[in-house]
Amino acid sequence: MVDAAPAPKANMGQPIPRYDARQKVTGSAMYSSDVALPDTAYAYLVSSGIAKGRIRSFDLRSAKSVPGVLDVLTHETMHDAVRHLKFMTEGGPASNTVVPLGSADIAYGGQTIAVVLANTYEAARDAAHRIVVDYEIDTPSATFGSPGAVDQELATQNKKHEDPKVGDFASAFASAPVKVDVSYSTPTQHHNPIELFSTQCVWNGAQLTVYEPSQNVFGIKNGLAAQLGISPDQVRVISRFIGGAFGSKGSLTQRTAIVAVAARKLGRPVKLVATRDQGFTIATYRAETRQTVKLGAGRDGRLLALSHEGSEVTSRPDPYAVAGTDASIRMYACPNIASNVTIVRADRSTPGFMRAPAETPYFFALESAMDELAVALDMDPVELRRVNDTMHEPIKGLPYTSRSLMTCFDQAAAAFGWSKRTKAPGSMRDGDWLVGWGCATSAYPTQMAPASARVRLFPDGTARVETASHEIGNGIYTIAAQTAAERLGLPVEKITVMLGDTVLPPAPVSGGSITAASVCSAIAQACDAIRAKLSNNGTPAVDLVKLMSERGLGAVEDYAEWTPHGAQKGALGMLYKGAAAPTGGTRLTDRIQFAFGAQFVEVRVHARTREIRVPRIVGAFAAGRILNPRTARSQFMGGMIWGIGSALHEETAIDTNAARYVNTNLADYLVPVNADVVDVDVIMVPEEDHLVNPIGVKGIGEIGIVGTSAAVANAVYHATGQRVRDLPLRIDSLVAGS
Amino acid sequence: MRPFSYDRATSPERAAGMLVGTGSDAGSVQGRTPAEYLAGGTTLLDLMKLDVMQPARLVDIGGLVGRYGDIAIDDRGLHLGALVKMSTAADHSGIRDHYPVIAQSLTLAASAQLRNMATLGGNVLQRTRCNYFRDTSWSACNKRNPGSGCAALDGVNRQHAVLGTSTDCIATYPGDFAQALLALDATLDVAGAAGGARTMRFADLHRPPGATPNVETALKPGEVITGFHVPAAPWTRRSLYLKVRDRQSYEFALASAAVALDMDGEVVRQARIALGGVAAVPWRAREAEAALTGKRLDEAAATAAARLAFAGAVARQHNGYKIALGQKTVVRALLQAATLEI
Amino acid sequence: MPDYDDREARAFVSRRRFIGVTASTAALPLVGGPARAETAETAAAPVDPSAPVDMTLRINGERHRLGLDVRTTLLDALRDHVGLTGSKKGCDHGQCGACTVHVDGERVLSCLTLAVAVGDREVTTIEGLARADAPLHPMQQAFVDNDAFQCGYCTPGQIMSAIGCVKEGHADNDDAIREYMSGNLCRCAAYPNIVAAVRQAKAQMGG
Repeated sequence: MVDAAPAPKANMGQPIPRYDARQKVTGSAMYSSDVALPDTAYAYLVSSGIAKGRIRSFDLRSAKSVPGVLDVLTHETMHDAVRHLKFMTEGGPASNTVVPLGSADIAYGGQTIAVVLANTYEAARDAAHRIVVDYEIDTPSATFGSPGAVDQELATQNKKHEDPKVGDFASAFASAPVKVDVSYSTPTQHHNPIELFSTQCVWNGAQLTVYEPSQNVFGIKNGLAAQLGISPDQVRVISRFIGGAFGSKGSLTQRTAIVAVAARKLGRPVKLVATRDQGFTIATYRAETRQTVKLGAGRDGRLLALSHEGSEVTSRPDPYAVAGTDASIRMYACPNIASNVTIVRADRSTPGFMRAPAETPYFFALESAMDELAVALDMDPVELRRVNDTMHEPIKGLPYTSRSLMTCFDQAAAAFGWSKRTKAPGSMRDGDWLVGWGCATSAYPTQMAPASARVRLFPDGTARVETASHEIGNGIYTIAAQTAAERLGLPVEKITVMLGDTVLPPAPVSGGSITAASVCSAIAQACDAIRAKLSNNGTPAVDLVKLMSERGLGAVEDYAEWTPHGAQKGALGMLYKGAAAPTGGTRLTDRIQFAFGAQFVEVRVHARTREIRVPRIVGAFAAGRILNPRTARSQFMGGMIWGIGSALHEETAIDTNAARYVNTNLADYLVPVNADVVDVDVIMVPEEDHLVNPIGVKGIGEIGIVGTSAAVANAVYHATGQRVRDLPLRIDSLVAGS
Repeated sequence: MRPFSYDRATSPERAAGMLVGTGSDAGSVQGRTPAEYLAGGTTLLDLMKLDVMQPARLVDIGGLVGRYGDIAIDDRGLHLGALVKMSTAADHSGIRDHYPVIAQSLTLAASAQLRNMATLGGNVLQRTRCNYFRDTSWSACNKRNPGSGCAALDGVNRQHAVLGTSTDCIATYPGDFAQALLALDATLDVAGAAGGARTMRFADLHRPPGATPNVETALKPGEVITGFHVPAAPWTRRSLYLKVRDRQSYEFALASAAVALDMDGEVVRQARIALGGVAAVPWRAREAEAALTGKRLDEAAATAAARLAFAGAVARQHNGYKIALGQKTVVRALLQAATLEI
Repeated sequence: MPDYDDREARAFVSRRRFIGVTASTAALPLVGGPARAETAETAAAPVDPSAPVDMTLRINGERHRLGLDVRTTLLDALRDHVGLTGSKKGCDHGQCGACTVHVDGERVLSCLTLAVAVGDREVTTIEGLARADAPLHPMQQAFVDNDAFQCGYCTPGQIMSAIGCVKEGHADNDDAIREYMSGNLCRCAAYPNIVAAVRQAKAQMGG
């Protein structure tokens, strides 16, 4: 058996190959920009070269003289074709409330200010480069500390936010025998899925079809309809395969409405494939944070006081924040806790979800600080987690539905060989390379949202599963087929799965690691209903196909709507509007639900030149039922490697004078390459949790990245004795000490 | 990308003739040149898509590979045709054995696909990765638009040069192979219009930015590089290329060193050091070389030489680390080269 | 399987290709013929560089006669004009490897290759490895067996690059595979599985 397909342990499904594997290795999987529409016109975006100010005028003469150019849309020609929508936290669908081509005002660098339409891509690009813009330039505020940037308490800007606390942190911290009081920073990061952001729109009379890679086709359908002032019934969104998303394709962005309007204007299909560079400003990003963690502990390592404060950059119009304190302060037993989140308004586009949006930055700080505390205590960092482990979250005392944190630590530590670690920094040198070992806690809230699915069973022993979920590499085609096969008692190859199309029953956004738990619960419910329909006198039917042919049935179908524990009233209705809100995690009144893991990292730092390499990483994760150990292992592994990238490489650099990004390409925005990744060991720890949902699934798409950057930083400290508190960890900050 | 006419050259003379009065650099204003040679295309098409280069005409010289695609090693040294692909030279066993710094500088550059495309002649002419140069939405770039200023001086300059810069430009020369050629005292052959050919020292090819960062090389209008010659020397076998970067592969150097040593036991007869990633042009550290001559090559001598190599370094806000890193890179490369088994 | 989109797409593409070829009657000779000016000054005047250029590409054993804008890259020609969308655009600047194809058997980046410059060299894309319903190429099968992808977007480029890696003799050990596959970014980060797949396929390819 290959490494990729680990044998299932308890409460795990079969590691079957991906349902869509053949399509993906033959190039026949149709991603949105692969769909060819007849007589397509090509769109090319023009982006603002300033971050703040106004457009005085455009000179479009040269652009329009390019042969093949059909039109140039600007705020002057769009007028009010696109309506303003409310921001997510205000109950609207917009991830960025700047109206597309809505006015002459520039709110951020890279804002779309025009779009060229032409018969060919080459002509559109050429013309876009010829457009001359006369700006009235204001001095922009780039980030923390920039003149004009405004600090605000998040709670004053988002009514739903509260800063949890318990006990009396100040006195407990003041009197704690051992203290850590440290500040950290994390950089701007961009998802950079390898698939570029694209949109194709075609109108058939009043009906609009949109081909766009999306994690939320119903969100686009409804939001776009509202923007255009048409009925959602007039909009169909198709997204059969998504070339990586990581949060970047979860929201309605500006380009969709622009392309839709362009297609209506031209009366022909319009195709936009934005450039990599434009991708840094036309979608969302992970905002930079600054954080302070204060830990007070007894000499036995037990936490007496914990405070976590975070500050995050956002845009002028939209109060986006990830507020990771909500999770971070609930990880360990501690009687006195304080937390606070502030936001800084700058002349930037609105940030958004990026893989483990809250936990990635906030667990870097928390888990680095825990390591600093272990050093201060002269205690093994694993043992520090052990003495502070808890089965109840510390704010309200709610019970975890299940928590296998220390099992994960113990299994990962054993596989890693942690017991061979020598404690002193710099003590594990191998020739010219300084070796360091570090570890950290991973955790991610178990969330779900309402989902619907239609399952149709045919007498030939085949079945068809329909749900408008999204194949973003998460393997949902595969686990949807497996779930149906298992529940209907059919071989998996007899199942057909239809996804990514708003003509199908709605599924929630594929984000927050909710997809498997939500969508497969709906599929299971539909299959169980089919079984019930075919049952004899209340006895569950065994061979459904045999029963169907005995009764001469043509097809049996069920349309299931599933809602999770704790869902708010009306949640199902929101599903159809593309706005199903996830619940679970820390949001429940009766319990708390999280998946847990532990990661161990070996780094090697060159003694002279200070390159940092990660030859080895071990992660153990317990996340309830694992539907397919093959696809699950890949997701965990991908998350862990994302964590390495986040620790060592990923930073979108901003020119603070101009408030514009500089390294907006894949040669300068570094993500790990193959040679950066050597030995990755994923341990799936069996765990049963029947409370989270009927199928016992917690969700695994994000937990792999959580804590990894701290484990890397902790290992770098162990290798070098240098504590780096600002990501990414690079030669720059280490070389002076070599 | 602006429209251009496309021609295939059938001979070097014809190719040069097609470009008479144009040149790759001379007269370049805002990247607008009447014509450019197209070989591997990995720099040219990249920059044309970005609208940084806007040639009205491309002369495709890829078809001349039969004449300029040879590698030869003899008593006089190594000859490399300008149209040899990077991958071919990188994998050439003779080069790996006798001129390891050349093979390593190529192997550590770019990616396998790019090395299969890019030619050696084009490689040495690759243009800076300065983001303010590559992105035309930044108005201040003296290299792209003479007299417009330099946004990098007070911008994001982590990647930028600390040696050989000027107050008009701090862009880094991004390549690797050039440092190997420079360290080994290579010459290059150039063909010009009307059959005119000349040979020049590789050290004279790249021009420091000074007040005219838009002028990057000493090539005359229409001239095309046809080959490189690396003289045989006692130090070519004891040579290596050390490239330091954030990730393990597929990244430009933060700092690099091409070093070659002729040793008498532990004592240096002659040293050759060229630096990359830290300088505006491929940078020969002659003072450091001179300081090593006749010295026992130990930590102290290497450190002293490295300090000399960076004596004139000038840092901006984000690239000060390159002064320390560059020195440590030199030390590491020298000590490693000294202990090579050859 | 969501295959009905594919059928729609293929019908559209064949129409577009037809349009492309008829337009090519206005094409210019490629190599300095009599209509071609010899110097830059005169080149600009009589020639309309935006007029389509007639070219014939040999792709996966078939000849495709096309009339394309001279600026068209091989990648855009494949995707937008020939209907072979397996090769992907991930950066368009030679920084990701998603567009990797073989030209005369060597792996290259189609995004930095002008279609017109390909000439009569043979282009092989992911679609040329295995015909529909035929057995997969050993490298494709190895990617399936080792789950060497998640979203699948970079996969055609990875596979074309991996075959090149083996053929070049750069797959002798895992370190070499990692280094020589580093020109293909995988944001899902299936790297260890990609290395395992190359190792498996190499044995079957006799590399």
